[in-house]
Amino acid sequence: MNISIPDRSEYLKTLAQSGQKIMGVLPALYPRELLWAFDIHATEIWDPPGEILHANAHLQTTICPIVKKSLEFILKEPDIINAGYLFPHTCDSLQNLGTQVKDLIGVSLPVYTFYNPKGSFNKMTTKYYRDILQNYQLTLETIYGPLNPEKLLAACVLSHKIDSYLLAIQQARMTDHLAMNNLDYFKLMRAQEYLLPSDYLSLLEQVDILDQPSESPRARLMVSGILPPTSEILRFLDELGVGIVADDLLAGSRRIPKFPMDTPVSPLDYLTDRFFVLPPCSTRGGDLDERLHHLSKLMDASQAQGMLFDMIKFCEPELFDHRLLVKTLREKNIPVLTLETELDSHISGQDKTRIEAFTEILFEMASA
Amino acid sequence: MSIRAELKYKIMKDYGAPALMVLQDFKRRKPRPIPEAFGPPLESNKRLKEILSRHYFLSRYTPGVKKVAWVTSGAPVELLRAFDFYTIYPENHSALVGAKKQGADYCGIAEGSGFSQDLCSYARIDLGHMLSGKTPAGKLPKPDLLFCSNNICQTVLYWYKAIAHELNIPLIHFDAPFVTTEQTEADINYMAQQLQDMIPILERVSGRIFYLNIFEDILKRSMETSKTWGAILDAMKAQPAPMTIFDAFGHLAPIVSLRGLPVAQDYYHFLMDEIDTRVTQGIGAISDERYRLIWDNIAIWYKVRFLATFFAERKMNFVTATYTNAWAETTGYLDVKNPWTSMAKTYGQIILNNNLKHRLDLMKKMIKTYSVDGMVMHSTRSCKPYSVGQFDLRKTITADLDLPAVILDADIADERVWSEQQIHTRLEAFCETLEGSKHG
Repeated sequence: MNISIPDRSEYLKTLAQSGQKIMGVLPALYPRELLWAFDIHATEIWDPPGEILHANAHLQTTICPIVKKSLEFILKEPDIINAGYLFPHTCDSLQNLGTQVKDLIGVSLPVYTFYNPKGSFNKMTTKYYRDILQNYQLTLETIYGPLNPEKLLAACVLSHKIDSYLLAIQQARMTDHLAMNNLDYFKLMRAQEYLLPSDYLSLLEQVDILDQPSESPRARLMVSGILPPTSEILRFLDELGVGIVADDLLAGSRRIPKFPMDTPVSPLDYLTDRFFVLPPCSTRGGDLDERLHHLSKLMDASQAQGMLFDMIKFCEPELFDHRLLVKTLREKNIPVLTLETELDSHISGQDKTRIEAFTEILFEMASA
Repeated sequence: MSIRAELKYKIMKDYGAPALMVLQDFKRRKPRPIPEAFGPPLESNKRLKEILSRHYFLSRYTPGVKKVAWVTSGAPVELLRAFDFYTIYPENHSALVGAKKQGADYCGIAEGSGFSQDLCSYARIDLGHMLSGKTPAGKLPKPDLLFCSNNICQTVLYWYKAIAHELNIPLIHFDAPFVTTEQTEADINYMAQQLQDMIPILERVSGRIFYLNIFEDILKRSMETSKTWGAILDAMKAQPAPMTIFDAFGHLAPIVSLRGLPVAQDYYHFLMDEIDTRVTQGIGAISDERYRLIWDNIAIWYKVRFLATFFAERKMNFVTATYTNAWAETTGYLDVKNPWTSMAKTYGQIILNNNLKHRLDLMKKMIKTYSVDGMVMHSTRSCKPYSVGQFDLRKTITADLDLPAVILDADIADERVWSEQQIHTRLEAFCETLEGSKHG
C-alpha cells in the first residue's frame, strides 16, 4: 500500500497540542457528525495497547477485554482526551462502565452517554432515535453553545462522502479490485477511529480501486466479530495467501450503511436514517434471520469460501448469535473457524496450527 | 380452544392439583431438623410450595386451553394477564434448577449444542431445558409467545431471540432505555407507545380482545401486591428480623412470576399476617440475632442453605437485599389512571436499568434504615448489569459508612463456579472483621 497512515498516538498527541477538542468514544455506534459540528474530534477507544493493571481493581476477571482496556486507558487520564468521554449504549458491560466511571470512579472530564435502541425497529423507534439525537444535541449545546446548523449539514455531507468511499472500497475488496493485503486493509479501516474526518477522507481518496480485477488470493475468507483479527493473525493470513474479502465486524462493515444513501439535506433526518440502514448487529439485538441473510449475501458477493469468527472473550452479544451462525454455515457446508481472543498482540502456537489446518481446507476447496 | 383440553384443565385445576398437594404432603419426608441457630420456620413456606407446585403442575394442561408465554422477570406482565396468558418465567425455572444443584447438567446440554460456557447460567439452563425437555418441574409447556424486556439486562434479548428462532414463535421485546441520570420525556413516551403497540399482537396470538377495565383491575392488583411485598420487606427492620433474606429469596417467587394474579395477592396478605405476628411477638428468624447484614445481587441458588446456616450460626442475619427490593422499589410510580406512562416509569427505572449512583444511594439508605452492620456482595459471572461496578460500590460504601464488606465470586445457578475454600476463607475473614468492628 502506498498510502501512509499516521500513527495513532503521535497523531492524537499533535492534534491535542494544537488545541483541538478531543472526545474519547467507547464502542460502538454514535452520531459522530454531531460532535464534528461542535468542532469536537471523536477518537474511539476499542483496544488501547498496554497491560491491564489498574482496571483489575474495578472490574471482575470475567469482563471482556475491550471494557477492561478502555477503563485502563481512562484511568490514565491521558492528555490527548480533553473534551470528555462518550459511552454509547452497546452492551451490559459498557452500559455499566459508563455509569461506573461517571458516578463511582469519577474522572476530571465530563462523561456522556448515548442510548441506541434495541430489538426490532419500526416507525416508533425511528421517532425515538430522532428524539435521542435532539436531546444529545441539547446536551452538547449547554456546554458548547448553540449548534450551527450549517456545520451539522457539512458534517453530514462529509460523513456521507466517507461512507460512499468505504462502500466502494468494500465492494472493490470483495471483487479483487483492491490491491491491498489484509493488514493494510484493516489499518485503513481502523484509521477512521482516530483521524480527523477530513484527513480520513483524504486517505480514502488516495485508495486505488483497480479497473480490472487483480489476482485472486489463494483462498477467500470472511471474518465476523467485534474487532478485526490482531495484526499478527492478519500478517499470518497474508503469508498463507488467504485474503479476507468481506467482514461482519462491529468495528468494520457493521458501521457502514448497507447501501449508498442520498446526499444529506436535513441533518437529523439523515442521521436517523443512517442508523437504521446499518447492517444487522448483535449489539442492537436485531433479528437473527436478518443477520443470517445479510451474512449470506456478503459471502455470495465476495465468494468467500469460509468464515472466521474472531470472538472476544466474554462478549455476550456475539456469543449468543455465534452458535446459530456456525450451525447455519455448517449446514451449508461452509468451513468455519472460531478463535477466541483476549486482545493479546501475540498469536498462540495452537491458534496458528488451527488457522493453518483451516486454510488447508480452503485451499483444497479453491483447487477443487 | 378444545373442549376436551379445557375440561381436562378444569378437572386438573379443581381435583388434580389439590390431590397432588395431598400426595405431596403424604410423601413429604420427615422435616429436616432445624439447626438451633434458627428460629421457628415460617408457616407460609408450605403455602408457598403449594402455590408454586400447582402453578407448574397446571402448566402441563394449558395447551389447547390457554396460550403460554415465557416472560422475563422485569417485563410488564400485567399486559399479558389482560389476555389470560399462562406465564412461565424461565429465570424462575433456572433458579429452581440451580437450587436443586442441577444447573451444571442443564448448562452442559446447552454448551454441548454450541452455546458458550461464558454465557449467563440462567440462559444456559433454560436453553438446556429447551433443547432436552428436561425439567425438575415434571414437564413444561412450549411457549406460544416470548415476552422480554432489557430493563434487567440485554442478555435476555439475545437469549429470547435464540429461543424464538429455534421454536419459530413470536417475540415481543419491550425496549427500556437505560436511565443514566433520569428518564426523559422521550424515553417515557417511547416505552408507553411500545406497550400500546403490543395490544394488536397480543390479541392475535391470544385470540382475545383487550378490555381496558380488565387491564386496570390487573394493574391495581399488581400494585397492591407489590406494595404488600414492600411492606413485608419493611417489616425486616424489626429487631430481631422476622425472616432472613434467604427466606425472602424463596418468597419472592410469586411477586416475580405470578404478579397481577389473585393468588399472589392473597399469598402476600397471608405472609404479611404471619410476619406481623412474628414482629409483635418478637420472634426472630435466627435465634440470637447480633449482626444485621445486607445482600447485594441475585442469590447463589445452590448454596442458599449453606449460606443461611453459616451466617445464622454466627448470629448474623441478612435483613435486606437489593435483589428482593427490586419488585417493590418502583411500584409507587404505577397509576391506574395513566397506565402506559406509569408502567414506563415503573418498569423503566428498576434497579438494574438505573445508574450506579442510584444504586449507591439506595444501598446506603437501606443500610441505614435496616440498621445494617455488614455487607455481602455476590459478584456473579452470569449477570453483568448487577456485577459491573460492585468493586467501586463496595469501596465507596465501606469508606463512607465504615461498613465491613466482602465480595463472593460465584454464580447464580452454575455450581461448577463455586470455590469452597476461597469462599470459606473470605467469609471467615469477613465475620472476624464484622465481630471486631461491632465490639470495637
